[in-house]
Amino acid sequence: MSKRVLNHPPEAATGKKYWRSLGQLAETPEFRGWLEKEFPQGASEFHGGELSRRNFLQLMGASTALAGLSLGACRRPEKHLVPFSKGVEWSIPGKALFYATSMPTRQGAAPLVILTVDGRPVKVEGNPSHPAAEGRSDTWSQSSILDLYDPDRSRFFLESGKESDGDKFSKGLDLLLEKAGDGAGLAFVLDRTLSPTRERLREEILKKYPKARWCVHEPAQPEQARLAASVAFGEGMMPDLQVEKADVILALDSDFLSATGGTVRTIRKFMARRRVEGPDSKMNRLYVVEHRYSTTGGMADHRLRVQASQIAHFTVALAEQIGTLTGDPNLKPLGGPTTKFTERWIEEAAADLVAAKGRSLVIVGDHQPVAVQLLGYAINAALGNIGTTITGRRTEEKPGLTMGALAAAIREKQVQALFIVGANPMYSAPADLDWKNLQKSVPTVIRLGLYEDESSEGASWHVPLAHYLESWGDSLAADGSYTAVQPMVLPLYGGWSEIDFLARVAGLPKPAGPELVQETYMKRVGGEGATLTGTWNRFLLDGFAADTASKPEALTFNGGAAKDAIGKAAKPAAAAENTFEVVLEPCSKVDDGRFSNNGWLQELPDPISKLTWDNAAWISPVSAAKLGVTDGDVVEVSVNGRSLTIPVVRVPGTVDNSLTIALGYGRTKVGRVGIGTGVSAYPLMTTENPYFSTGASVKPTGAKYKLAITQEHGTLEGRGADLTRQANITDWQANASNGDYFKKMGMDSHIPENISLYSNPPLNEPHQWGMTVDLNSCLGCSACMLACQAENNVPIVGKEQVINGREMHWLRSDRYFASDEAGVDDPEMIIEPMLCQHCENAPCETVCPVNATVHSEDGLNVMAYNRCIGTRYCANNCPYKVRRFNFFDYHQRPLDKLYTWNLINEKGTPDTLKMRNNPNVTVRMRGVMEKCTFCVQRIQEAKIAAKVRAKDSANMLIPTDAFTVACAQACPTDAIVFGNIKDPDSKVSKMRASPRSYRLLEYLNTQPRVSYLARIRNPNLKMPGADRIGSFMSDGHDHGHGAKPAAHGTPTGGNH
Amino acid sequence: MANIFPRWSNWLPLKLLVIAAVLGGAATAGAWYYFTPKYTRVGYQPVQPVAFPHDVHVSQLGMDCRYCHSHVEVAAHSNVPTTQTCMNCHIQVQPDNPKLKPVMDSWRTGKPIEWVQIHKTPDYVYFNHSAHVNRGVSCVSCHGKVNEMPVVYHDQPHSMAWCLDCHREPEKHLRPIDQVTNLNWQPTPAEGESVEEAQLRLGLQLKKEWHVNPPDMNCAGCHR
Repeated sequence: MSKRVLNHPPEAATGKKYWRSLGQLAETPEFRGWLEKEFPQGASEFHGGELSRRNFLQLMGASTALAGLSLGACRRPEKHLVPFSKGVEWSIPGKALFYATSMPTRQGAAPLVILTVDGRPVKVEGNPSHPAAEGRSDTWSQSSILDLYDPDRSRFFLESGKESDGDKFSKGLDLLLEKAGDGAGLAFVLDRTLSPTRERLREEILKKYPKARWCVHEPAQPEQARLAASVAFGEGMMPDLQVEKADVILALDSDFLSATGGTVRTIRKFMARRRVEGPDSKMNRLYVVEHRYSTTGGMADHRLRVQASQIAHFTVALAEQIGTLTGDPNLKPLGGPTTKFTERWIEEAAADLVAAKGRSLVIVGDHQPVAVQLLGYAINAALGNIGTTITGRRTEEKPGLTMGALAAAIREKQVQALFIVGANPMYSAPADLDWKNLQKSVPTVIRLGLYEDESSEGASWHVPLAHYLESWGDSLAADGSYTAVQPMVLPLYGGWSEIDFLARVAGLPKPAGPELVQETYMKRVGGEGATLTGTWNRFLLDGFAADTASKPEALTFNGGAAKDAIGKAAKPAAAAENTFEVVLEPCSKVDDGRFSNNGWLQELPDPISKLTWDNAAWISPVSAAKLGVTDGDVVEVSVNGRSLTIPVVRVPGTVDNSLTIALGYGRTKVGRVGIGTGVSAYPLMTTENPYFSTGASVKPTGAKYKLAITQEHGTLEGRGADLTRQANITDWQANASNGDYFKKMGMDSHIPENISLYSNPPLNEPHQWGMTVDLNSCLGCSACMLACQAENNVPIVGKEQVINGREMHWLRSDRYFASDEAGVDDPEMIIEPMLCQHCENAPCETVCPVNATVHSEDGLNVMAYNRCIGTRYCANNCPYKVRRFNFFDYHQRPLDKLYTWNLINEKGTPDTLKMRNNPNVTVRMRGVMEKCTFCVQRIQEAKIAAKVRAKDSANMLIPTDAFTVACAQACPTDAIVFGNIKDPDSKVSKMRASPRSYRLLEYLNTQPRVSYLARIRNPNLKMPGADRIGSFMSDGHDHGHGAKPAAHGTPTGGNH
Repeated sequence: MANIFPRWSNWLPLKLLVIAAVLGGAATAGAWYYFTPKYTRVGYQPVQPVAFPHDVHVSQLGMDCRYCHSHVEVAAHSNVPTTQTCMNCHIQVQPDNPKLKPVMDSWRTGKPIEWVQIHKTPDYVYFNHSAHVNRGVSCVSCHGKVNEMPVVYHDQPHSMAWCLDCHREPEKHLRPIDQVTNLNWQPTPAEGESVEEAQLRLGLQLKKEWHVNPPDMNCAGCHR
């Protein structure tokens, strides 16, 4: 037998590499630090605090001695069992109940079911019966449960900053409204929701006070999309993208596959055309033109970097090309672009779109100017897409005043009483309005807010707002269906809901229950002679009223009006060489700042930049090098006479001379979590340029700012190319019959078969749990990470500890870039969710000195926290770096007091945060190792349910796919599938059998239970650079020995 | 000849002996405490706010456990009854008995009765009643003969080793499902068979027929 050598083949000096950070490419000492240890240099040391390891030991000695004196602690404390005095309907102590509701957002309702235990809402899931969600959810709804229990939420009615109560407020309000007359002095500023009840109350208020001003303030969702649609298709008509019908999609600065730009419904429709089950499957093709990497760009088959301000020129160039090919009169002549783009890119993309006439789709980002969006519709009309891939639907939304118009009225002293309902204009109004002074000049300001924040400061009245999980309400989902919002608990801090508040303003009594919503419900759904009994309960049970989705309407494109509007629009400036454009975007985590006090969202790494706890200006590595700055260097950005200082972060895939800054940071008055995070970008936002401004100058200030970026945490020995596998569709189709195509790539194609000296005990339980992760569907949206955090009581650790590499996420989302040397600035991107692989031959188990991590008979690598003594050997021996250690008592101590020591430790978490914890999962303490458990609490619950059903029979099998784990349940694209791999009918068995499936680091013989499905890209072979797209490695180590070249003979790699 | 050992070393054996005695004594005391029922609170019998006699209700009146502990077959917790449950009968039966005053007070004010918890598993243990009572494990196996207790006390150690004894040999405790709440039930011995032997015979048969297979080596069965 030959000697088995398991050295990794040297990585090729040239050819395609997979990398996570620029530091990895450059092999910086910091990166070596991350790579060589599970925990980086010094992660296991105290720093920052006043305590060294030595005096820690002294203190520990002293406290042990003292502990010996207090023998009284040997007795267990007396505990009480407190049953209800009167039974509560449905309530069984300790058993979960599910209630349907929805989270109102600016894009409509996110349909949800909420798991409640003993009256406490604990976990948010998508509503499986709602057609707009199909049981899936997103990061914002997953994290909203934490906002409910946020101890920093506003708790009191405040009259000019002094504590008051609801009755006094009611009286004050009545006095104010008595003098209101026709309402000429009243003005309202509200968030956008699609609540029909709120619309009804708006009409009531306007009937009573016809001259009142009504203004919807959404800094991150400008009006352009609605304006463009009303010109193109007529007032009240909105396009509804039928993404699933499109074979070829071109997204122009549209992040339609993200939390901020899209909806779960759109994402699911897109992914339905992305599934590659067998060699004959067809995929759609996605072209993306954008200024920085977005999750949509990550999905792209072809991606072109163009500045956001140059999208207009690009669209004109594309329109001309398509006009030439189709002869459509609306597209010709447009005067020609002033910027040169890669012509072949446009020609080939246009040809591809035209070839798929009626089955193609051009999507222009909502933030782009109206003229660009209209041109997009004109292109779609020329391509015959109107009526096929774009249908219409009526919108009930009536636009209100713009913030500009309201500001003008305030300036002219026409507003006597300003009602700020939910929105936070003091923080987020465009800078040119000078809102700060305007609001102060209004005699009476009444604020309804979840927090006592910027806009509550100086207000005559502040009214605590009830969270959506505490209020009655309604909304319209993404498909237009009428969706319920029902309370899970009474308001924890005594708040009023938005409709309660507006009802009082309209002169109605404050409702005690759902009366207002019931009235709307009867009008919309009930129909003639209907009664509430029966259907209302059904409505609450389902969470929505069936068959109320908006009907598709025929669209007629008003080409003439569009052409006029395009002609009249000012020509955007061409890109200037030495200045920057500044793009302001809603943050993928804290949105426009509204979720700023949510610790889960703050600590969630951005899907692309992997930045936590802060925002930073994204810059391309080339531009950064020109400026001489690197990650964390603070620059001064000046544009149109406004400026701010902000650190930069280099993000590959960003276009040169462009800065992208996330909104929502730099809050000045917010709770303990959100304060001191990042820099507010609103000072650069103006009414005229809410999205991008051009001509900015960027100067390094020489200052440094510490950023908590997780991209180099948990790197796997440069094994990126082994971990993420991909191919383009033609190559794959040629090799699909070869089941080993993806299994024998990279290192796995070089080494002999695995031999084990140790034979593990057989796993013969009828349930054997496993998981598949489809890299072809994974967007990187990170809903899985938050679902896991909520389900498993995973703590947040704070910015400083993230910098130390101690973040606790059981499931992380690794973002890899892939490029050859020339393409470092414009790489491909692959996202790979990484979690405990539940190895059958687990390296962690063999090194645990106390058997705290062992294997269960159903194939789980289980962790017994009460046994763990914290040696961390297991983490050192884990090749996947998925184990997490509790360096502190994160559940017991406030994050700013982790280092303060005294003998009697200062402890204490606000009770509300304890209430949020999932009672079925142990809350871990300091010194304990933890990791993904495959949601063992759900497995046990299913097993116990099967036993209870079995009674005196022997059938204890859990029905196929009867339950799933938190991450898989949340995943909007079904990329994560969990189930019993011994059951041939389960979804996971079918996914595992796919020829795309492979396991990570197979050659280490760990026998993981998690399989990954390789990414398939669908490049247009005529496009420039198509030969590089989706090819694995071009250094000769790519495909397994004996893999066939693609049948058509196109090159698969560069340097063969 | 000079002394090799200094003078103080004469006392060394004695000092060592004293230290050994102290350490040994401490170890013995520790073990004494740790391995006795006192540690596992067997015999713990706190005073309850209401002197509820289980023996009267069960043995004399013939009530089933599940009348009050109504969710034991569906939930992990075996619930303590609500005041409302007590009042189902006591609104008519002995409403003026002074012993029932806390119950009446609770019913009138809506303030719950605070019973003292006797059986408590640590927070990292997830015991499930429904999984046991639906599969032929009787209440009596863990709680003793509550039907004969005027005041309830902790009967069994409820330590992990004690749990595992049964998880490894469930046949010692299995019985027909309809006899789970009958705390006086005993298997009928065949001729020449002791009760223990009869239990083993029946238990093994039920274990085989029902595929009883409690988690014995899987930590996650109870710790999660």
